Amino acid sequence: MLWLAVKTLFHEKVRLIITLIGITISTVLTLMEVSIYLGVMGDATAVIRNTDADIWIASKNIQSFDFALPFPEHRINQVRALPDVLWAQKLFLSWGFLKLANGGREQAQIIAYNPDNGIGAPWAMLEGSASDVKGGRYIIMDKTSEQRLGKLNSGTLWEMTVGKDQYSFKLVGLSQGIKSFTTVPLVFMSYNQFKTLAQEIGWGDQTSFIVAKLSDPAKADAVVKALRATLRDNDIFTRDEFIHKTVMYWTVQTGMGMAFFLTAILAVLIGGAIVGQAIFASTMEHLREYGTLKALGAKNSEIYFVIISQAAISAAIGYAIGVIVILLTRGGMEQSGVSIYLSPILFITVFFIILLVCLLSAYFSVRKVRMLDPVTVFKG
Amino acid sequence: MSPALEVKEVSKIYGKGENKVAAVDSVSLALNQREVLLIMGPSGSGKTTLLSMMGCILRPTSGEVLIAGKLVSMLSEDKLPDIRKHYLGFVFQSFNLFPSLTAVENVELVLRLKGCNKENLKAQAMGLLDRVGLVKRAHLYPMDLSGGEKQRTAFARALAGDPPLILADEPTANLDSKTGRDVLMLLRALAEESAKAIAIVSHDPKAEELAHRVVFLEDGRLKA
Repeated sequence: MLWLAVKTLFHEKVRLIITLIGITISTVLTLMEVSIYLGVMGDATAVIRNTDADIWIASKNIQSFDFALPFPEHRINQVRALPDVLWAQKLFLSWGFLKLANGGREQAQIIAYNPDNGIGAPWAMLEGSASDVKGGRYIIMDKTSEQRLGKLNSGTLWEMTVGKDQYSFKLVGLSQGIKSFTTVPLVFMSYNQFKTLAQEIGWGDQTSFIVAKLSDPAKADAVVKALRATLRDNDIFTRDEFIHKTVMYWTVQTGMGMAFFLTAILAVLIGGAIVGQAIFASTMEHLREYGTLKALGAKNSEIYFVIISQAAISAAIGYAIGVIVILLTRGGMEQSGVSIYLSPILFITVFFIILLVCLLSAYFSVRKVRMLDPVTVFKG
Repeated sequence: MSPALEVKEVSKIYGKGENKVAAVDSVSLALNQREVLLIMGPSGSGKTTLLSMMGCILRPTSGEVLIAGKLVSMLSEDKLPDIRKHYLGFVFQSFNLFPSLTAVENVELVLRLKGCNKENLKAQAMGLLDRVGLVKRAHLYPMDLSGGEKQRTAFARALAGDPPLILADEPTANLDSKTGRDVLMLLRALAEESAKAIAIVSHDPKAEELAHRVVFLEDGRLKA
């Protein structure tokens, strides 16, 4: 009966096109919303995910990676004292203002790291190396910041205000695709260099994060528990906990997650409604033929199969067109600065959601056919 | 040898109590192979109700329906589609062809439904259309066929799977006089050449000449 489903579906071209437009729009919207959400969350947690550390120690009551407050850096000794800690390093996260060629200023997020071991350093270098920031007022910026800062060229000088004073920095390298959630340009520099600036604003003995690597990552929970007992004025996380904390902040506390998922859910429901309406209208139009099939000996299940197959075929084609649209527009969106995360799992999950909604939308048609009395076919 | 189809004291009653109406009241008749039985009567006399019960589409309130000697009126609802599939072919007043399928595909559909050999479905369907003289119009959609051609397609469809019984409900009602006569002659030829038992419900006087036997139904009862 798949044969009949296909023949009928493709015979009614206008209805099929309307159905496919509905499913395609639904697919594009759903994939777009979810992939942008995942892309933005990827940006928000990029430094945590790309830093080879098992434990993150931050200021008390931190809400997300971007909102770290300084705390005494000597606490690193308590971390290093634990036998399971292989090494511990300090990272500083602060804010400054870059001076633009047109005289304007642009806020920047500063990440200061130890260039000797590269913990917390930019991980996708386009030009130069992460260790190039060592020994002076050198910075690395990201290619994606060009949207805000203009063309970035290695070797150029940049004026940046940190605290009250303005300093000159030489751009020694460019990374690719490293963005913060806030879209503020990221500026990487050496920890020691930042400390000399921080002295002047009274943060000379402070740090933003202590990150630690364990000899056995499986002991992360136990080490976190031990650190929580000793560092009571800090928040201690495993790497995954800190990622989760950051994601939950941006998703729940800002309401952003609700907005994204509500749009995605609405897109799926609208797609389902369009398919349901189209299939129901088709069923009503073919009711006499379905009655004839029953009279000719077709079982209800065989007719249900026709209707459900049509819903499934529509879902598959509409979804495929939607995916093609997404893949074709992806490059343009990324170039315009939108972070998109697409993965096979996302494609598979959204496909099954679209398929499920389309199949559920066929329910009313199936119910109509179940109630259909084949006697009706004798009525002229 | 048992008749191809037999109804014994079959009744169909609608409503309850004082509102009870007998659409068909204690009708008994038999239909043999190679026979065309014409059931005539005025509108509302119960012809179509009787045909529906003969075709295992409507369950009688009382009485028995036997097909090839097998009591089918007592079978459960889930068994009846198989009986219809293997023993019966239907021709409807409004043709009831699938508009999205060509003439040959309409016939092919029933062959598929009846589980016929899938290898040469198209050839089988064309063979059936050949029997009703419609091969040249086989690839047209119903909307492009005339009324007579649609009804011929419906006959070919009714013959698909070679059922021993064909039930036709007002097969000439939507046809002009000449086409109606051609269609009835075709039915008679099918009965004789293919050893079919054919029951026709009609109030077309032309049908009387071509039927082997005529019964009259009035107020749900057979008239003597």
